[in-house]
Amino acid sequence: MSVLERLKSLISGTKEDLDKNIPKETDPIEPVEPVSDAKQTSSEEEIEIESDSETDSVEETSVEVPVEEEEITPVEAEAPIEPKEAEEETEEVEAEAEEVEEETVEVEAEAEEAEAEEVSVEEDTEEVSAEEAVEEVPEEEVSLEEDEELDEEDYLEEEEEESLDEDDLEENEESDNMTLLNENDIYSMDDIDAEFKQKFLDAGIETVDHCFQCGTCGGTCPSGRRTPYRVRQIVRKCLLGLKDEVISDPALWMCTTCYTCQERCPRSVKIVDIIKMARNVAAHAGYMAPAHKATGSFVVKTGHGVPINDATKALRKEIGLDEVPPTTHAFPEALEEVQKICQACEFDKLIGFNMETGELE
Amino acid sequence: MEIAYFLGCIMNNRYPGIEKATRMLFDKLDIELKDMEGASCCPAPGVFGSFDQTTWATIAARNIAIAEEMGADIMTECNGCFGSLRECNDLLLENEAKKDEINGILAETTDKQFKGEIKVRHFAEILYNDVGLDKIAENFTKNLNLNVAVHYGCHFLKPTAEVGIEESAENPTILDELVEITGAKSVPYDNKMMCCGAGGGLRARDIDVTLSFTKEKLDAMKAAGVDAIVNVCPFCHLQFDVGQKEVNEKYGTDFAFPVFHLAQLYGLAMGLEPEELTLGAQVIDATPAIEKINQ
Repeated sequence: MSVLERLKSLISGTKEDLDKNIPKETDPIEPVEPVSDAKQTSSEEEIEIESDSETDSVEETSVEVPVEEEEITPVEAEAPIEPKEAEEETEEVEAEAEEVEEETVEVEAEAEEAEAEEVSVEEDTEEVSAEEAVEEVPEEEVSLEEDEELDEEDYLEEEEEESLDEDDLEENEESDNMTLLNENDIYSMDDIDAEFKQKFLDAGIETVDHCFQCGTCGGTCPSGRRTPYRVRQIVRKCLLGLKDEVISDPALWMCTTCYTCQERCPRSVKIVDIIKMARNVAAHAGYMAPAHKATGSFVVKTGHGVPINDATKALRKEIGLDEVPPTTHAFPEALEEVQKICQACEFDKLIGFNMETGELE
Repeated sequence: MEIAYFLGCIMNNRYPGIEKATRMLFDKLDIELKDMEGASCCPAPGVFGSFDQTTWATIAARNIAIAEEMGADIMTECNGCFGSLRECNDLLLENEAKKDEINGILAETTDKQFKGEIKVRHFAEILYNDVGLDKIAENFTKNLNLNVAVHYGCHFLKPTAEVGIEESAENPTILDELVEITGAKSVPYDNKMMCCGAGGGLRARDIDVTLSFTKEKLDAMKAAGVDAIVNVCPFCHLQFDVGQKEVNEKYGTDFAFPVFHLAQLYGLAMGLEPEELTLGAQVIDATPAIEKINQ
């Protein structure tokens, strides 16, 4: 991939993903604040992009956490933008990106410079101690971000007034004090729920402990390509016991259980089992989509998530099959067993299904 | 040979042509499909597996116990049912404490117990390993000159370490081989092993995300120039059938790939009429593919 193409993907990729995500966050399904979600979304987007270019190989948590935190600031700057406007602007941003490409000389020169720096950083990292590498990382990030910021700024100026937050950010980056530290967003021991991690171990998913955060899972995840779902982060948070953060995140439900991450995990971590267990905890804490409760209620009512209907009965009869399949549909005593199981496991209570009225509450 | 035939939900309650073709094929192959009377939903991994593992495992164990009483391995034609039942079977075989817990609930609520005596098997794997390509093809009367996109789905082969049908799900061939004995050509396409987008409860939870998966698959199929889509999972089948129309509505596209479950494809190769395979009741019109076959 040429430097130019790479730069292009950096520019268009960020904005595009961001725009795609914004409308979804405004349509919350769960009792979680959309804003906090948007926050997470875009912060993660940016992290991914940056990790392409530099020293994400530094594997300490202490390094990772501040990186995530400092990225939150630019996102808040995005939040005030109306989702609709943002959507309309997508095309223009793309056009903008193309324009930038045409200014070959300048951009290329910059890009070459950037890459040269990257290389030196990467080489250094191996020799230099972890702390020193950490010091260099933020600088590198800022230089890359500035490129993006500038492009964004251009179009923002044309289209609308820049938000105050963005101005602040710009100043902040250019000032001598380079910190993007947000004191409120540092994890403390209070955030850690030791029992949460233990749940995974007790369920036989001790492989949660084997994860070394390589990111293969996220890199291969089809859902992560289009949603805020970040599987590597969720596994990490489960291991750390950051229960509230894991279970309140609607993105937890964006996994289709396709197992691609698990297939490619170099540590054979049972990732899908971890996600399902985290969802169990979330569901028991009340984080359930109404549509999921409805599917659950169909099984309690009929024994089937997709029950038979009159049209299919007629079809079955037409082609010479039993009108009603030999399942719980044909055997009321079998349905009764399934219902007793649901009651014994308190699944009815979990989804708020009233056995007497036969409806969800 | 006798097999406990697990119907699940979507196949028998929405696409009965798949069931019809399967019953006819296995009749010809002299394999007896025995009904699992009173079987229920597998249950759906996206809701039950994600909401409450104990409920999920107990309902699955009850289904498995029905087959154990019949003394036969389970066959399912749905990747989701296969995933759910196989996972529960393995879990209770490996984990004695869990098995005792689940059997405790079963004792309270049913007259069934999980014993761990049978295997849970997928329709396509039984055909490939127990019947064999040549013997299946003996029953075909029609050459299906179609270019098809083979969609494996997720829970047929994955997680490979636990399922063991193929060593790796990166570039498997089992389904392509099963398809190509009909004369159809399995055309390579981008993201062939990618999920249809419906699984894990996502279709119910966030249809927009699901459709974005499906569109990515459909785009790749269009670029490859296929005549139809072949799958081995009624849920993927539904996603490509109903979901294809939803993609067209959402994105303004004009995808029109007929969708066949492998059993329906075999039905066509055996000379069954499209009506017998309930193809006329599907959302996407199968006529273009049928006409190409009849040319």
